[in-house]
Amino acid sequence: MVMTDGWIAAPPRVRLLVCGAADRGDDGAALVAAATLLPALSEAHRALVDVRRCGQLDVDDLIGTPDGMAGLIIDAAIGVAPGTIVTVPFERLVAGDGAVGPRSSHALPVSQVLGLADALGHLPPGTFVGIGGRRFGFGQGLSRVVRAAMPAYRDAILAEIERLAG
Amino acid sequence: MTTGPMTTGPKAEPTTGPTTAAGEADATGERTFRVAGLTRVEGEGSLYLRVVDGRVEEAHLGIFEAPRYFERLVVGRTPDEVIDIVARICGICPIAYQMSAVHAFESLFGVAIDPSTRALRRLLYCGEWIESHALHVYLLHAPDFLGYPSAIELARDHRAVVEQGLALKKIGNRLVSILGGRPIHPVSVRVGGFSRAPRRAELEDFRADLEQAVGLAQATVAFVSTLSAPEFEREPRLVALRHPNDYPMNEGRIVSTDGLDLEIGAWEDAFREEHVPWSNALQARTHAGERYQLGPASRVTLAADQLHPLAREALASLGLGDLVRRNPFWSVAARAVELVHATAEALDIVDGYRPPAEPLVRWQARPGTAAWATEAPRGLLFHRYEVDARGRITGARIVPPTSQNQVAIEADLVDFAPSVLSMSHEAATIRLEQLIRSYDPCISCATHFLDLRIEGR
Repeated sequence: MVMTDGWIAAPPRVRLLVCGAADRGDDGAALVAAATLLPALSEAHRALVDVRRCGQLDVDDLIGTPDGMAGLIIDAAIGVAPGTIVTVPFERLVAGDGAVGPRSSHALPVSQVLGLADALGHLPPGTFVGIGGRRFGFGQGLSRVVRAAMPAYRDAILAEIERLAG
Repeated sequence: MTTGPMTTGPKAEPTTGPTTAAGEADATGERTFRVAGLTRVEGEGSLYLRVVDGRVEEAHLGIFEAPRYFERLVVGRTPDEVIDIVARICGICPIAYQMSAVHAFESLFGVAIDPSTRALRRLLYCGEWIESHALHVYLLHAPDFLGYPSAIELARDHRAVVEQGLALKKIGNRLVSILGGRPIHPVSVRVGGFSRAPRRAELEDFRADLEQAVGLAQATVAFVSTLSAPEFEREPRLVALRHPNDYPMNEGRIVSTDGLDLEIGAWEDAFREEHVPWSNALQARTHAGERYQLGPASRVTLAADQLHPLAREALASLGLGDLVRRNPFWSVAARAVELVHATAEALDIVDGYRPPAEPLVRWQARPGTAAWATEAPRGLLFHRYEVDARGRITGARIVPPTSQNQVAIEADLVDFAPSVLSMSHEAATIRLEQLIRSYDPCISCATHFLDLRIEGR
């Protein structure tokens, strides 16, 4: 990656898919991370990223990813300790590594959305970066443990942006 | 929130893990089935079946998530705030919640909306039906009929089928976005109309997509015609709205196949809710304690004459006759027919659209009881609100369709299960799951995990 501030060398290389709901406690963790990380990036770094807010991930969010662009999904997660940050390649999620039992709903879980995109031949290379949440109630803010982990979560997201773009 | 990739978590209780089998006969010849993780339904709960001498004696659809307190959350709020709050009850049918609430308030306050606003509300509802039905037919229910564990495996072998469903769903999402500002939890519905009505050109730009959607919906009916459903017939009591001029969505009267005919806000005159020990959700029955069924099959049965001509043609082409009413597995056909109806009606509305003179008419709150029902994708959704002299909510009752269908689901399982007990564990499980999915249960309001257990002795 050879870039300097103020100079855009190429189209974005990473589609950042920001999931979650801001009004449901730790479900808003990825939104908070993106809202505080992106303005702090250098112009060169920002130019690497095409940001999409997608709430609940839908297969269309992946199908539309241009060739040559990687995907980076950020979202709160359950099943890991609150505040824990996990970075998982798409292919591991599709393979079901470490997956919890079936949790399908009208909004398909991330692993199934990725699997569906893969089956349709539209899965870009990419990574899921999640943070364990503690509470997801309506009208709640971020829990203390997630707030405390937010700097590390931003660092993990930035590291993946750089790795995927590079 | 992502729930898929991690190991276990607090919401995984009381059971986690993929479907497991323990279906071999024991030394006494008794048989026990234990299956964890019913998939492709909205929400998570538990199902318990007790089989004695080949007969199902108990079938409990347990819902154990803590109550979400929406009926309490709206107390003290204004009607417009309520419309935004109740939309959050469900991510797949937020418009249904908005429509039941807004019509309840407008009925109490005596608000007369512009005819174009009425059409826009039907158009918005069409969008929700399209996205919900497309999702269910193709991604949730089709794998059952075609013998795949999920839409992913289905997509590997039948890519065109899944892409067809995704294309339809996308058009539904876009329609909701145009009218509601965003595809999930739209924000434009207000007492008295909409915060903003679309310009004619905005809808005209969408016309080509809707034309495509009609074709895709007709192709969906053709696809459904290739499926075969398990044999299972019963004589259900079906309940739906019925309107003299329109296919039921926002207006009409509550009617049933056994002669019920109620004002739209008078649901409580015929039905009641009750607690059951195995569920945190209320179950609804008639006052006589009897079960009833809501949803596409009910609407198609009770309002077939109000279907769009293209949808009537599609229904006839299936040649199912009475099976849509009598066999719950054929709800997939009713859903496909309603896809044709929703897409065709949406196209008609767009073609005839004139922006309302007043997208948002003035209104004055009045104290009293606001009650209304509309047709969510999976059935009748009843709301009642008590409003004080300041226009604030003092009490609320929300009865979603799945809480009303629960009793019918349990009864169907009791009646249907004996026919699968001789099957392999895997085959029996698929059939029972398929039956539950026939109701397109949307129990996210009250449920987080469905653990299916069948025990026999």
